[in-house]
Amino acid sequence: MLTLSLSTLRERWPLFVGAVMTVALGVALVQAALLVMAATGRGWVPPGVTEEEALRINEGYVGAATLLGMTVPLAAFLAVFIVGSTFAFTVAQRSRDLALLSVLGANRRQLRRLLLCEALFLGVFGTLVGVVLAFPATLAQSAVLHGFGFLPDGFEAPFGPWVLGASVPIGVGVAVLGVLSASRGAARVQPLDALRDTGSAARVMTPGRWVTGLLCAAATAGFIALTRSGDLLVALGMSLLISMTGSVALSRLSPLLVPLVGRLFVLPGSTLAELARANLRDGVRRSASTAAPLIVLVALVLGIDGSLGSLAKLTGVEQERSVRADLVVDSTGAQSARLAALPGVAVAAPQSLLPVSITALSAESPDDPPRPQTYDQLVFAVDPVTYLETHVAQPRSGDLAALTGPTVAGGSAVWGDRLVGETVTLRHNGQETTLRFVARLPETLALGEEFLVSRDAVPADLLATSPTQTFLRLTPGTDPATVRSAIAAGDLGTVRTVAEWAGAAAKAQQGGNLVIMAVLMGLSGLYAAIAAVNAVVIAGAERRAEFAVLRLSGLTRRQVTTAALIESTVVTVVGLLLGALVAAGALIGVAGGTGGVVAVPWGLFGVLSAGALVVTAVACALTTWKVSSTS
Amino acid sequence: MSYGGTTPFAVELRAVTKQYGTKSATVRALDGVSLGFPPGTWTAVMGPSGSGKSTLLHCATGLDRVTTGQVLLTGADITRAPEAYLTTLRRRSIGFVFQHFNLVASLTAAQNVALPLKLAGSRASTQDIAEALGRVGLADRQHHRPRELSGGQQQRVAIARAMITRPAVLFADEPTGALDSRSARTVLGLLKDLVTAGQTIIMVTHDPAAAASADSVVFLSDGRVVDRLDRPTTHAVAERLARLEESC
Repeated sequence: MLTLSLSTLRERWPLFVGAVMTVALGVALVQAALLVMAATGRGWVPPGVTEEEALRINEGYVGAATLLGMTVPLAAFLAVFIVGSTFAFTVAQRSRDLALLSVLGANRRQLRRLLLCEALFLGVFGTLVGVVLAFPATLAQSAVLHGFGFLPDGFEAPFGPWVLGASVPIGVGVAVLGVLSASRGAARVQPLDALRDTGSAARVMTPGRWVTGLLCAAATAGFIALTRSGDLLVALGMSLLISMTGSVALSRLSPLLVPLVGRLFVLPGSTLAELARANLRDGVRRSASTAAPLIVLVALVLGIDGSLGSLAKLTGVEQERSVRADLVVDSTGAQSARLAALPGVAVAAPQSLLPVSITALSAESPDDPPRPQTYDQLVFAVDPVTYLETHVAQPRSGDLAALTGPTVAGGSAVWGDRLVGETVTLRHNGQETTLRFVARLPETLALGEEFLVSRDAVPADLLATSPTQTFLRLTPGTDPATVRSAIAAGDLGTVRTVAEWAGAAAKAQQGGNLVIMAVLMGLSGLYAAIAAVNAVVIAGAERRAEFAVLRLSGLTRRQVTTAALIESTVVTVVGLLLGALVAAGALIGVAGGTGGVVAVPWGLFGVLSAGALVVTAVACALTTWKVSSTS
Repeated sequence: MSYGGTTPFAVELRAVTKQYGTKSATVRALDGVSLGFPPGTWTAVMGPSGSGKSTLLHCATGLDRVTTGQVLLTGADITRAPEAYLTTLRRRSIGFVFQHFNLVASLTAAQNVALPLKLAGSRASTQDIAEALGRVGLADRQHHRPRELSGGQQQRVAIARAMITRPAVLFADEPTGALDSRSARTVLGLLKDLVTAGQTIIMVTHDPAAAASADSVVFLSDGRVVDRLDRPTTHAVAERLARLEESC
């Protein structure tokens, strides 16, 4: 069996290139991520930095580890899926070989063992390549994270042999897992199929495909239903699950769906279109293998981007709804103090961003022991009276009116540690003040923990120089334009409407999402490209005889290539559409939690579609052109 | 479990019918065929295209299930035998030779010959393999891959592979169909030698010259046995076949 596995790999290696590359890529990514995560865990800080800088670097480490923690399971999911579909296709291409072994007396267990041996070799080989690739991958990953500001200058993620204990089993495991289902189907091949070309081996929609496809479809429908509960966290979690189960469902059912949908696109007319139409019906396995990775790519990337985008949009909407004001002015504290006196201004609520840090006790859950945590980005000085007049939401507990003297309000972050204890410590220029909690703020989707302190507890010179946002409510009947020109005339700061201000907040949140999307896109796009190109090239190479017949029937090489191109383009379009369908499901899920606020990532869909169409078209044209020569 | 029956034949078909398709469109490929193949003889099965020759071969080897009737192979009734039993049977009692050789492209000649033994879990000694290839005249081609061999040489490797397990019956499906006449003569000579040494051979062919090498020829038409010829000559076989094809 070992000899046969090895010699098959040697003889038919082009069939396995895609699977090996997928395993190698997965191993490289996982190993690099683990090394970087381990290095962030050591919390190295460059010598000579201040305490505050050290704190910020450590926050970056936590962010980097979180991001990498997300990519590792995703890389594993994609790798198992892509190895599985690539291998299933290679097994289908060899059904005659396997049937022949069965004629010669091989039983099912032996056939499965043969394929698993191949998977093992593939896994080991892919892992070796991956372990080597992981060295440049670690550098690249660190560079990307450094570029996004997660890692400090001079950060290093050194190799440690311990990481092989994780990356080697993952590589081999991914290969074997991916091959398991394909091997079960292949072992059921009928010996008679060695002697004729059709038969059960040609049947693509196996019972296994039906079962997993329909189960995943049912699960997807169930997840969509669950998001109706209206809970945002549930909806976000569900939308990720919807993307995953939905893409598995549609890719398992793709032998059924791709030709069905594809036939809607190719209208019978020219001979070449007729030919492409007939091939769509005939080459079901080929079409399904090309479409499946595209379905997964589009479903995952659009689904996740759509969810994050919707969340950012909701942040903006929430902010806009949270204030009762007409204009927002950005200025210094000193300029802000003069706004209230302008004609037409009913209320001016200043909110100054203080260059101070607050240390509070916090815990991840009520059961965890509280530990001190320092926040230094969102400490605002407000006037409780005007603040209450311009903000809608009421505190969860306590009273904002009591925010005078050495007091504080906080606890707004939805995701993050829960603040505990009665007091916090405010630090400014090395001086420490203890502030008493008087109110818990309502939860918001904005990033970070927000603290409010009373303006009368802050030195006037500090207030005067701090960047300040002032919310203006105008007296009824006042034209905002007059107030705007008065502010401009007095050089009192830049003015925005509340809608513009909220939009900017949404954009800031989207900026954080971009990092996640960049990592995600690169990863999934690479996998999908490997799998789709692999399917196109293998299918093309195996169609030598078919193309030869077409040439003998009088078609030119150009016409043969055109027909193949029409076919592969239609398959790509169908794959993209089915993926978009899953992403739509994920967005419907998100909408359940955001009260209908949805950001549809049209631009990203356009980029992905264009990329997929170009990549498959080039691969198809090159392969067909090469294979359809008559010599 | 035993699937025993009593028969003087190496292979016996009793009132075998084989139907394909669903209710609306059925094709009766075999229609009440009763035939016995005595041990140590070489029988050729002939007939026009679509007469049921290949179906007969598939049913006789358990590759395909009969619709009604019985198939006895070396005394065992394989009609209702489970898949695992048929797999063992294919390993131990049956050898196959095909028109298109069906060698495993990635393995050398010697590895191809050793394959059935390895699948059966027994050790294949290098000497046995070399001898088997020597008997078909390919002692010097052991380490060649199929694509480095001519059609005739590939078919001789296939015969060595089929005979390595010393099967009770050798089934040949158009063994000379893809060969030039000289290679065909070599292959037929090899089969003749096997029969002389006591091997049972059942061969499907449409080549009168090949059929004439056999001990007897059975003619099929529309799924029925319509004629039989012992000690055939090429001329007599061609004449009968022409008559059959005319009546179609």
